Amino acid sequence: MRAVYGIVVRELVRFLRQRARAVSSVARPFVWLIFAGAGFATVFSGAGAIDYRRYMTPGLVGMVVMFGALLASLSTVTDRDAGVLRMVLVAPIRRSTVALGKALGATLLGTLQALVVGAILVPLVGLSPTPAGAALALGAVVLTSLALGALGLVLAASIRSLENFAGVMNFVVFPMLFLSGALYPLRRLGPALQLLARVNPLAYGVDLLKHALLADWAGAGFGGELPIALDVAALAVCAGVGLVVAAPLLAREGGVTRTAFRAGAK
Amino acid sequence: MSPAAIEARGLGKDYGSIRALDRLDLEVQDAEFFGFLGPNGAGKTTTVHLLATLVQPSRGAARVAGHDVVRASLRVREKIGLVFQDTTLDRDLTVEENLRFAARLWDLPGRVGGPRIERLLGTFGLLERRRDPVRTLSGGMRRALDVARGILHEPRVLFLDEPTAGLDPRARRSLWELILELRRSLGLTVFLTTHYVEEAEPCDRVAVLDRGRLVALGSPAELKRATGVRSLEEVFLARTGHPLAEPGPG
Repeated sequence: MRAVYGIVVRELVRFLRQRARAVSSVARPFVWLIFAGAGFATVFSGAGAIDYRRYMTPGLVGMVVMFGALLASLSTVTDRDAGVLRMVLVAPIRRSTVALGKALGATLLGTLQALVVGAILVPLVGLSPTPAGAALALGAVVLTSLALGALGLVLAASIRSLENFAGVMNFVVFPMLFLSGALYPLRRLGPALQLLARVNPLAYGVDLLKHALLADWAGAGFGGELPIALDVAALAVCAGVGLVVAAPLLAREGGVTRTAFRAGAK
Repeated sequence: MSPAAIEARGLGKDYGSIRALDRLDLEVQDAEFFGFLGPNGAGKTTTVHLLATLVQPSRGAARVAGHDVVRASLRVREKIGLVFQDTTLDRDLTVEENLRFAARLWDLPGRVGGPRIERLLGTFGLLERRRDPVRTLSGGMRRALDVARGILHEPRVLFLDEPTAGLDPRARRSLWELILELRRSLGLTVFLTTHYVEEAEPCDRVAVLDRGRLVALGSPAELKRATGVRSLEEVFLARTGHPLAEPGPG
């Protein structure tokens, strides 16, 4: 348990020290609110029923969670590059402990960033959730961070180099965002895209956030679309599967010797 | 009698068609200073990673501090310290934060880890740099911190994989004095890999490795006497038919 704590603390200290990363992660949703918000509002069919900036608020909070948790987990790639991962792997702890520590670190970072953004954004667009709604939103943020943190860990453990990092980010992050219901309701999409949205963990997180923040507009069709229990279950499954898959992938770090041997044999 | 610190039987590792380590039989006694001498690519690092449970053997078996490296890898990792060829420190964290991170990974409570970190910072001349990020340290200081990190949990066996690689001669000498001093004061088993003969000289025994095979084993004096030569360099040449090192330092 002390090892998990150590891993989480390190993630937090590193994050707080990278000012630019912290500032941009908090500023990003507001940039979206201003530019995407203004643009999408002009074509948004719900106009009249709900202000578009309110509609996109749960999605923006979800977006913060996604960037926060995924990026935190993907730091495993830089850890491998810098050699830090080897120090962790030679410690007398199980691979699953390493995976858990990393995922909890990502959960903490995703949650912190979402809370900061949410605390500004929610009152800014004039939403006032009930205490129960606020509690549900907090739960949604924590659970989504954990699920995406675990997913990010699977990606990070599979990515071999920093060069692939940016490519994966673009390939995963944007489809995930657009198929999450963050910017428009999913129910009008075609069946193929609906299916993709069903395997998108962020979609369940955003749906849960809509239950929490847009309950007043549920009648007009802009609240959560899926049962809360299904959202929670899907996120929990994603987190569990992610951790189980990631742990042995981290152990494959034996690759360090292989690379060292090749480099030495040259 | 306590079990040997390290015991390998027919230990080997293949990477695809590359035979990194053939069949190694080896016994290292408690508190022994053991040198593993060979050129780059001889299989030294592979051996260390096998003994440190970081990779699985393709054949054979090994026990470290009495525990099997495959079946009891966690127990083995509790008992060993490993200083990797390349630094494994977090460059963005401070000297002290790196040690505290390691202390938590090795499950040392604060009241045990704290005083130990203080002591090590003193021993390794890092007290004044404790709050500086590791990236601002010189190569020699980083290496010293790597070693401090490696012995923080008071291992029984310390693996040093080419610890002086990439250091200038002065930093190399001071690190070397530190290692010898640690050995004297802690009495721990040291397993050193190197391709510098002068680093293998002070070892109790030296294993000479070439292309994944053990070609000689004994004390430096024995090896030289048995081969009828005056240096370990010549021992290597006589046993393998080719020189140990490429010309020039480095």
